[in-house]
Amino acid sequence: MIKVPLISNTSYLIRQLPSPTAFIDTNYNIVQTSDKWTSIFNKKNESSNSKSLFDVFPNLSHKWKMVLNNCFNGNPQPMGIHQAFDVNDKELWFEWTNAPWYDNEENIIGAIIQLSNITEAVKNELELNKKDLLLQQQAEITKIGRWEYNIADNKLFWCATTKSIHDVSPDFKPNIETALFYYKEGHSRNAISMAIFEAQDKGKSWNNLKLQIITATGKEKWVMAGGKPIYNKGEMVGLIGTFQDIHEQVEADIKTIDNEKLLRTLIDNLPVNVYIKDTESRKVLINKAECEYLGVDDPNDIIGKSDFELYPYEGAKKSREEDLKVMNTLRPILGKETINTTLSGKQTSFLSSKIPLLNNKGVAYGIVGISLDISQLKEKEKELRNIINIASVQNKKLLNFAHIVSHNLRSHSANFSMLLNFLENEKDEKEKTKIVEMLTRASNNLLETLDNLNDVVSINTNTNIEMKEIDLNSKILDTCENLASFISNNSATIENNIPVNFKVKSVPAYLDSILTNFLTNAVKYKSPDRNPLIILNAEKKGNYSVLTITDNGLGIDLEKYGEKIFGMYKTFHDHKDARGIGLYLTKNQIDAMNGKIEVKSKVGKGTKFKIFFNEKN
Amino acid sequence: MKKISDITIIDDDAITVFGLRKLISSSIECKSVESYGNGKIALDAMIHIFNNDQRIPQIIFLDINMPIMDGWEFLDAFIKIPIKDKIRINIVTSSIDPFDKKQWEYYKSKSHHLITFNQKPIDRNKITEITQVA
Repeated sequence: MIKVPLISNTSYLIRQLPSPTAFIDTNYNIVQTSDKWTSIFNKKNESSNSKSLFDVFPNLSHKWKMVLNNCFNGNPQPMGIHQAFDVNDKELWFEWTNAPWYDNEENIIGAIIQLSNITEAVKNELELNKKDLLLQQQAEITKIGRWEYNIADNKLFWCATTKSIHDVSPDFKPNIETALFYYKEGHSRNAISMAIFEAQDKGKSWNNLKLQIITATGKEKWVMAGGKPIYNKGEMVGLIGTFQDIHEQVEADIKTIDNEKLLRTLIDNLPVNVYIKDTESRKVLINKAECEYLGVDDPNDIIGKSDFELYPYEGAKKSREEDLKVMNTLRPILGKETINTTLSGKQTSFLSSKIPLLNNKGVAYGIVGISLDISQLKEKEKELRNIINIASVQNKKLLNFAHIVSHNLRSHSANFSMLLNFLENEKDEKEKTKIVEMLTRASNNLLETLDNLNDVVSINTNTNIEMKEIDLNSKILDTCENLASFISNNSATIENNIPVNFKVKSVPAYLDSILTNFLTNAVKYKSPDRNPLIILNAEKKGNYSVLTITDNGLGIDLEKYGEKIFGMYKTFHDHKDARGIGLYLTKNQIDAMNGKIEVKSKVGKGTKFKIFFNEKN
Repeated sequence: MKKISDITIIDDDAITVFGLRKLISSSIECKSVESYGNGKIALDAMIHIFNNDQRIPQIIFLDINMPIMDGWEFLDAFIKIPIKDKIRINIVTSSIDPFDKKQWEYYKSKSHHLITFNQKPIDRNKITEITQVA
């Protein structure tokens, strides 16, 4: 039989209990509650009396029935912590305790339940858990592990991340000695040992130590270690610290440095000038070749400077315009032939390219320039062109010569055949004699032509002509002596202004021929109005000895005849001795000695020939 | 024999002039044969004839390679003289230089005169052929 608890007198006392308290009978019905309880759980202070405990707290698990049952049997057990909601639906946490409810006769008639509000404590704990979780996640993401060392019991704690960085299992138990052995022997181990020693000895903390460890699986890893002592009531009780895996970062850094080195080595050793300019056309980077070109040892002497500081204004302006065009159009200039002049006046031919440098938005932030010095190539090209020119001139000369030869021989042979034809058909003896005379003349002409051609051929084929230093004055004296009667017959005067001991380099026979030809011509083509006056001068000019022969003769219309005057069989005056071979031979001889002839003339006034003897060869 | 009034030979080679004269006199009948030693003398003579309203020779034998003024220079100046008659100009040369052939074609197209190009030697048949009045 169930005893009904006596409540009337005591109920007032119960209501005043300071903590939330409820009395339930053995049927779990709430018999009496304290005002505190009522104020927390009951709306409008309505009494929950005689309601079932589980009706009021539907969240309470039926497992508690067992606990309460045990209580009814005199074996109270702790009920633990439970979440509940107050009248305002606010979340609260309570620690529930219970005790058997005895009547006067020590019979258990129910249970007394008391709650203590531990919401604050639970919240703190949740916060802590959350922080722990957060820390753990942070550690996983950033690969920053932590550790704690307790000096008193010489215990070392590693968090999961620290363990994973060491490649040890999650249940690994580290200690301070073995922990240090993970650091790579040498700098890394020394540095960390020193840091820990100083922390314990002097209370110094350490951070950002970039060290290498060798993990449990033998892998080398870069870590960033930091740590500091912790104190309790002024006494050092341990060390805490962080442990970060920075292997990828360091490797990337090393790789970047390696790449930079590689790039630098490459651009420095490329046989081309390389530079990078910013949007203001200031040099940001230059390689060794460019340094050498600009005449500096240290690139820093150039970096930051614009073309206007490195090149003459005009060139710099042009270059700047080019840079702007490349950066604005984003279209590179490739392999453009340029001639650059430095401030010192040095000229260099380049094959230059300018390529825009783009940022990730596709906007140019500068240009990279690559220039190949092609000065030598250009020089070679010039030489080659020169050689081609010489060859083509020679070829032309040869063709011209072939035509001359053919023309001359043909004209003689034509005469022969014509005359022989006449002779064959001629009956008149007198006419026959005349034809034979003609034939003899034709034959002599042919011989002379052959001699002339032979002279020309020998000049042009004689490749190892022997040059000698010859005293010009004595040669002129010889020539004048040979021409003495010719000169005096023409009442010619020769004024010799050549310095004593003036030497020219020439083939002796050529010099004879040259002097004879020019002097003869100067007298031969005299003006009918005056006696011939021939003035000889000589000077050294560069690589040449220059002989100037000035006459006061007929002169030649150079505008009309020009270079023809040196042509074969070209005569320009109606003179019985003009054969058109002298100047041609002379020109060939001078050409053969790498010299040259210049001519100035005025019709009716005279002619001035300048003969350049090459002294260098 | 054909009748031609005047023939002019412009050549500096005495033998060629001799030969041409001989060939002309034996194959055609003509009033006079003049010869000049180079282009300049010939041109002066032609201008003189023209200015005095005399008759320009109907046939001219012209050498190319001559001193003072060569055949081409002569031709260049001659075709500028406003002669109404069609003159026959026979270039007689031993040159095989293609340049001379080109010059001939050039002047041929530029002038109303009949200009022919003849390689030496000239024989009797050839002379008959090239002394037809233009």
